[in-house]
Amino acid sequence: MHAIVLWVSAILVLIIAAIFLAVARSSSTSASAQSVGKTANMIRHLSFWGALVFGALLLYATLRPWPHALPPGDDAITVTVTGSQWSFEVDTESVPTGKPIVFALTSNDVNHGVGLYDENYKLLNQAQSMPGYTNRFQYTFDKPGTYKLLCLEYCGLGHHEMASELTVTSSTASAELGRK
Amino acid sequence: MAKQATMPSDFGPRVVMALSGLVFVLLMVFGLLMRATQAGMLPIDPTLFYQLMTAHGIGMVGTCGFAGAGIMWYFARQYVPVTNGIFWGFTGLFLIGVVLILAAIFLMGFAAAWTFLYPLPAQSGGVWDVNATVVYLVGLLLVGVAFLILYLDMGWAILKSQGGLGQALAWPTLFSGSTDAPPATIVATTVVTIVNTIALVPGAAIILISIVNALVPTFGIDALLAKNMIFFFGHVFINAAIYMSIIAVYEIVPRYTGRPWKTTRWFALAWNATIILVMFVYTHHLFQDIAMPAWTLIMGQVLSYLSGLPILVVTTIGLLANLYGSKVKWDLPLALLTLGVFGWAAGVIPAVIDGIISVNKIMHNTMWVPGHFHFYLLLGLVPMAFGFMLWVTKTRQADALGGLSKILFWAYTAGGLGVVWSFLVGGSVSVPRRWAEHLPQWQGVDAFGTVFAVLVVVAALFFLIRYVVGFGGQPTSSEPAE
Repeated sequence: MHAIVLWVSAILVLIIAAIFLAVARSSSTSASAQSVGKTANMIRHLSFWGALVFGALLLYATLRPWPHALPPGDDAITVTVTGSQWSFEVDTESVPTGKPIVFALTSNDVNHGVGLYDENYKLLNQAQSMPGYTNRFQYTFDKPGTYKLLCLEYCGLGHHEMASELTVTSSTASAELGRK
Repeated sequence: MAKQATMPSDFGPRVVMALSGLVFVLLMVFGLLMRATQAGMLPIDPTLFYQLMTAHGIGMVGTCGFAGAGIMWYFARQYVPVTNGIFWGFTGLFLIGVVLILAAIFLMGFAAAWTFLYPLPAQSGGVWDVNATVVYLVGLLLVGVAFLILYLDMGWAILKSQGGLGQALAWPTLFSGSTDAPPATIVATTVVTIVNTIALVPGAAIILISIVNALVPTFGIDALLAKNMIFFFGHVFINAAIYMSIIAVYEIVPRYTGRPWKTTRWFALAWNATIILVMFVYTHHLFQDIAMPAWTLIMGQVLSYLSGLPILVVTTIGLLANLYGSKVKWDLPLALLTLGVFGWAAGVIPAVIDGIISVNKIMHNTMWVPGHFHFYLLLGLVPMAFGFMLWVTKTRQADALGGLSKILFWAYTAGGLGVVWSFLVGGSVSVPRRWAEHLPQWQGVDAFGTVFAVLVVVAALFFLIRYVVGFGGQPTSSEPAE
């Protein structure tokens, strides 16, 4: 999704730039203000109603399912992350692949943000960790490895050093360990 | 509408624009230093980095508002009886606030970012003390009071001269198709006066609460409520800054093309809708505060998409229609104003995309965020401000868009695009925003942004020098196209 977001933005910006450049070039020619006004009015109507219809479709497509939904039932494993200037306290060292993990975030002092990053520093999910509240998001890991929790809300001079790790093991290995 | 018989002098807004231009360039240098540090090209330590970041953020937001107010007041004084003394009072109070803010940051070490997110100002982790927090927040409060005084005078002048709020908002045109509408400038000014006056109240309240919290730590409020107040105020304020600057486009472009920018029914609808949209959209800043009621986040996504639409549609299409086939003679001010509308229109794209909750989960508080707001500030508001400045002093500027002007216009455009895309690409590879130190794999994009930032600084410095040198100049036409 990260690359798609960038490419969609780039293409739409290029289209807008092309329209501006084309109109700037046309400005050396002569056209009657009345005929330009009529065309502009038509474009205004079309773009307004077109954007409204597109927006409704976009809304439907991006809010179902609800992006902050938590897994139903009690199958999920909860990992509690508590932020303090400038470290995270994580109550679990490792979690298995294939099971929904609910991250419950809170803070002892100021606002922090918890960004869940993979081994290549790609952001997978996030939420704010703030005093007086517990924000929850869920993620199901499909690959074992050492994942990172980085602070994503500016919280003072140690902000960029505020990081922790979470080990994800394969569900088969975890099950074997459980049997032993 | 007839022009006022006696207009206040334009010396005040000219001074405000000179100061704004100077601060824009200075803060661009701060931005350049930060990008170079993230790229590993400069050894600035995190303490200074976060001070620069705080000054860059609050300075740019404040100066965007300051410059926007200068533009709005310059044109509004043609139609409504604003008070010259109040404008000078606004300028003086704003500058006192700026001095306090700078002292708090660079002499006392305050570095809680421009958003001063409660309770960070009072809980610095032992870095800055309570005095720094109080001085910063009092400075900010003075800036807020300065704007409030300006808007109260503006609101009073509008009510006195337009015969009511409905008339100033072009309601007869909107609801019954009347052709007797106020000028576009008055409609925009009225909307900005309403929304910013409302936004400044919770803004001032959270500043006062934060001051008390710093002095008496046992006194506090709910952190989520505080966040709502800060983002409501901040979002409306920076959007209003853009709306004030757009007035330059409505007023100046028609004087080049000879095609008036009329208050049509669409125009009235767009600006009236904005009053509501801009005030309720701020919850899109809180998508990752999952404790917020779900309906507020859905509202944030819906309005995030809708809020850009009305004014953008009328302004962008209006500008393009004004220019198309107009046989206009391009010069630097017109080119900068057109660039400003492009930057604003294009900047809405990454903003709206980040306003989708599922996208926000992987883009929020990454470099994507400075990417989108630099798009409509660095390539939107700032070129509009410089365009206005060079138009106001037009008789002392070179005529056509040629030679050095052309080179530096394109240098600014390319530099701005490079800076913006370095942020957006950084966001797409998940680089966190507001980090003083970057991992080596992120520094290639940072270096790219740094090089383009140099172009921006050089070109902006040129625009500023042109303005200062031509300070006593006049516009070629001071009359709006009828």
